[in-house]
Amino acid sequence: MFVKRRIPVLAALAAVVPLALAACSGGSDTAAQPSGPVTLTWWHNGTTDPLKGIWEQVVADYHQAHPDVTIKAQPLQNEEFPTKIPLALQSNDPPDVYQAWGGGEMASQVTSGKVADISDATKPWISGAGKLAADWQADGKQYGVPFEQHIVGFWYRKDLFTQAGVTTPPSTMDELNTAVAKLKTAGLAPIAVGGKDRWPDAFYYNYFAVRECSSDVLKQSVKAVKLEDPCWTKAGQDLKSFLATQPFQTGFAGTAAQQGAGSSAGLVANGKAAMELQGDWEPGTMSSLTDDEQLDSKIGWFPFPAVPGGAGDPAAALAGGDGFSCTTRASKACADFLQYLGSEPVQTKIAAAGAGLPVNTAAAKSLKTDTLKTVFDYGQKAPYLQMYFDKAFPTAVGAALNDAVANLFAGQGTPEGIVTAVNQAAAGNK
Amino acid sequence: MTTVTSPVRAARGPRPSVPAVPARVRRSSLRKRLELTLLLGPALLLFAGFVLVPIGIAAFYSLFNWNGFGALDDFVGFDNYADAFTGSVFQGAIGHNLIIAGLSIVVQLPLSIGLALLLNRKLRGRAVLRALVFAPYVLSEAITAVIWLLMLQPGGFMDQLLKGVGLGGLIHQWVADPGLVLYTLFAVITWKYIGFGIILLLAGLQGVPAELREAAALDGASAWQTTRHVVLPLLGPTIRIWVFLSVIGSLQLFDLVWIMTLGGPANASTTMATYLIDHGFKRYEFGFGSAVAVILFVICFVFALLYQRFALRRDTEGALTRMVG
Amino acid sequence: MRSRRFGLSMGYLAAIVVLGVTVVPLLFVLLGGFRTNAQINTDPAGLPGPWVWDNYTAVLGSGAFWTFLGNSALIAVIATVLAVALGSMAGYALSRYHFKGREAFYTLFTLGLLFPLGVATLPLYLWLRQLGMLESFWGVAIPEAAFSLPVTIVILRPFMHAIPGELEDAAVLDGASRLGFFWRILLPLSAPALTTVAVLAFVTSWNAYLLPLLVFNDSAHFTLPLGVATFQSQYSQDTARVLAFTALSMIPALAFFVLAERRIVGGLTGSVKG
Repeated sequence: MFVKRRIPVLAALAAVVPLALAACSGGSDTAAQPSGPVTLTWWHNGTTDPLKGIWEQVVADYHQAHPDVTIKAQPLQNEEFPTKIPLALQSNDPPDVYQAWGGGEMASQVTSGKVADISDATKPWISGAGKLAADWQADGKQYGVPFEQHIVGFWYRKDLFTQAGVTTPPSTMDELNTAVAKLKTAGLAPIAVGGKDRWPDAFYYNYFAVRECSSDVLKQSVKAVKLEDPCWTKAGQDLKSFLATQPFQTGFAGTAAQQGAGSSAGLVANGKAAMELQGDWEPGTMSSLTDDEQLDSKIGWFPFPAVPGGAGDPAAALAGGDGFSCTTRASKACADFLQYLGSEPVQTKIAAAGAGLPVNTAAAKSLKTDTLKTVFDYGQKAPYLQMYFDKAFPTAVGAALNDAVANLFAGQGTPEGIVTAVNQAAAGNK
Repeated sequence: MTTVTSPVRAARGPRPSVPAVPARVRRSSLRKRLELTLLLGPALLLFAGFVLVPIGIAAFYSLFNWNGFGALDDFVGFDNYADAFTGSVFQGAIGHNLIIAGLSIVVQLPLSIGLALLLNRKLRGRAVLRALVFAPYVLSEAITAVIWLLMLQPGGFMDQLLKGVGLGGLIHQWVADPGLVLYTLFAVITWKYIGFGIILLLAGLQGVPAELREAAALDGASAWQTTRHVVLPLLGPTIRIWVFLSVIGSLQLFDLVWIMTLGGPANASTTMATYLIDHGFKRYEFGFGSAVAVILFVICFVFALLYQRFALRRDTEGALTRMVG
Repeated sequence: MRSRRFGLSMGYLAAIVVLGVTVVPLLFVLLGGFRTNAQINTDPAGLPGPWVWDNYTAVLGSGAFWTFLGNSALIAVIATVLAVALGSMAGYALSRYHFKGREAFYTLFTLGLLFPLGVATLPLYLWLRQLGMLESFWGVAIPEAAFSLPVTIVILRPFMHAIPGELEDAAVLDGASRLGFFWRILLPLSAPALTTVAVLAFVTSWNAYLLPLLVFNDSAHFTLPLGVATFQSQYSQDTARVLAFTALSMIPALAFFVLAERRIVGGLTGSVKG
């Protein structure tokens, strides 16, 4: 912006310079840990039950067990985190404990110098969090701990399958295409997708990539933030062929994923669509969008089908997790708290309430429904877990990927274009 | 009729350009300066402090690659600006803004004027009517978007309504069709802001004295002629303000689009502001986002400058200043 | 006579059409609050059947709604008073005083129109933090007032300019100072425009979402739009309840407008006669 008057410009500069200097001073401080009673501010996304109630209980229980630690919980709407966290990490008093999803986004946050390296504090117990914990590392150091894991797969309505004459859940792409055709003949929307939010579209591309690319290629590509192997383009072509079968509900490009009964989750919840490729949170989301008390008994789950000729293991899964990171002020107290969150009592509560898949295996037996147990077991047995790419890659690259995939869904762009978009974003082009 | 002492321009006929102040009443320069400081100072301070300073900061950030964390150490000069202009998505966004701005003038303006004129009569229940017409403006954009999203779902309220009156053939995918979504958004925008335009014009119409219209009627002018030759010109300043606010509003469009379509599908409804939040803020590229913000600002600024110079200039001369007699 | 009647009936026709288009979506919100989600889902365009009171009672009964309402009101009033007071003073200076650089100052204010608040968010946030104004009502009201100044001045200046100079001459002859003229004559005469800008400032503040979102973390300080978002999240996409909350949130702003509207109609054009 070029203000015409000289004086305002000078004034603006005068204001800006101290701020820039303040921004520059965001270097890491080897903060001495506070001694004596400690209050931890905790930003989490449990604004609704069941998680809301569980966290409230956790705060009370932890204080009872550790009288010198008081936790001040601040629930924040999930969508606010991408806005609020960067601002908080710019300030001098970011929250002590905050929700983090690991991967490339967390790596960016680490550059602020305010995120604590808790490798030492967590070493004795981090193995309890399973192989997922590796996603909360950057440069081999632990910067957060997951408390919940997510597996993505197909949630389907058994009653609608029966109605259309689909007897068993598909295990190959061909079987899936057949099922789609049968459902269409029966007048049902075969698959619901929340195209408006873009990330549900990306799940399809992600999974085709997981099927087409070997786990080595996947790991290496994420590390280098570069898509070079032809399997990435092949995945795009698989997606294009799949899209050509027109398996989605009418107007999917404008459908939200989780908001309101008209969302993709709502469509499945109310029996208007037969399947949706989503994470394990889906039953929880669906239950709030319908009055159907019998919903749980009508829902089943099957993993993403195998793709012929793919170099990826057909049992590999697209996964993710929810976790928390610590800031430097009270990192030891924070790490201890995170250990508590991963302990069996807390994890059992989470599993039993259907709030998510626990990272603690002992808690898995308390999972609310058999379907969720199936999902959990699948994740445990999977030879390889790939974090969804929009979290694994740095944020800008992940967003470019989601955009390119959404374009393909809209009938624009090419499979090659997806690879190009990601590589360009990674190279710093906007 | 007082003589014009303004040094700015010669008076032409009975319409001097600025309100004249007789020489003997002219204040002393010091007193005037004090009064001006008192009158203008606080507003200026508030404005500079909380609007100009942030703008300046944004301009500063735009020269860096910065992810919002840590130090500002990656100076890139004008690269961010180059990247923005060469990107097809941003170019599309600019185009969308211009389409909306153009449609506002061509569609919303005549509609607003017509409705304001019609509603200016002594209708029964006029106060309630005005309140209701203004109501959509009062709704927050977030709520408006949510309401219309609900109503425009496939098979939802709008579709049901059309089928009900036998216009089922007109049903389209209002929000999911890339070719249609921008116009759907325009329709929602019109719904929301037409009340604002009407109220603004009604206030302007208050300044059109009834005597003038009566005088014209006495002279034998029809309603249409009166409207065209008396009312509209007197409404001129208000209309010009409306156009100004409307175009600027179109250029800055954000909330409604963000919530209804997120700029989609496939970037068919992006605006400069959604682009800046999507590609700047949300992707942790604050330097780039700031550059787009500055570009948006400059575009608005250029428009404002040109508009001020050519369209609003006449208003500082005063279109309605003197009463006859 | 005939043209008068024709004009009136056209007026009524227009009124009905405008009313229909305007009101139907609002009715959708209002009536939606009286239905259940299942009803809304199965029959989007239908009337409530049966009428369900739970949604409205739940919203009115939750202390949260009234807290949000109070916060929104407080902030909106502060922002409006600031914007109108400072804006009218500046408008007077810019419309009826003659000084070098007057147009430049006016242009400076219009610059503020060109920058939507959302775009200035990050720098504004950092600046507020530096001033220690976070988590406070002033931290929201003051920037809102600042951003409302341009619109206020843009609307007030031509209006004040159009008020005939003879009034000012007359006042001066009677011994009033220019400031006295401003306070006792110009302001009352500008009532319609003042009301308009007050309503605009109030509504803009009332509906603001992004700024309160950033300034407030403590939900006890939230304003209504933030509250709606929190509410929506808490009742996870409970469309009916969100509609009830929305309908109730609209009422204060509408009420303010109706009250202010009377002031406009209460008229004054008659005063500028001869």
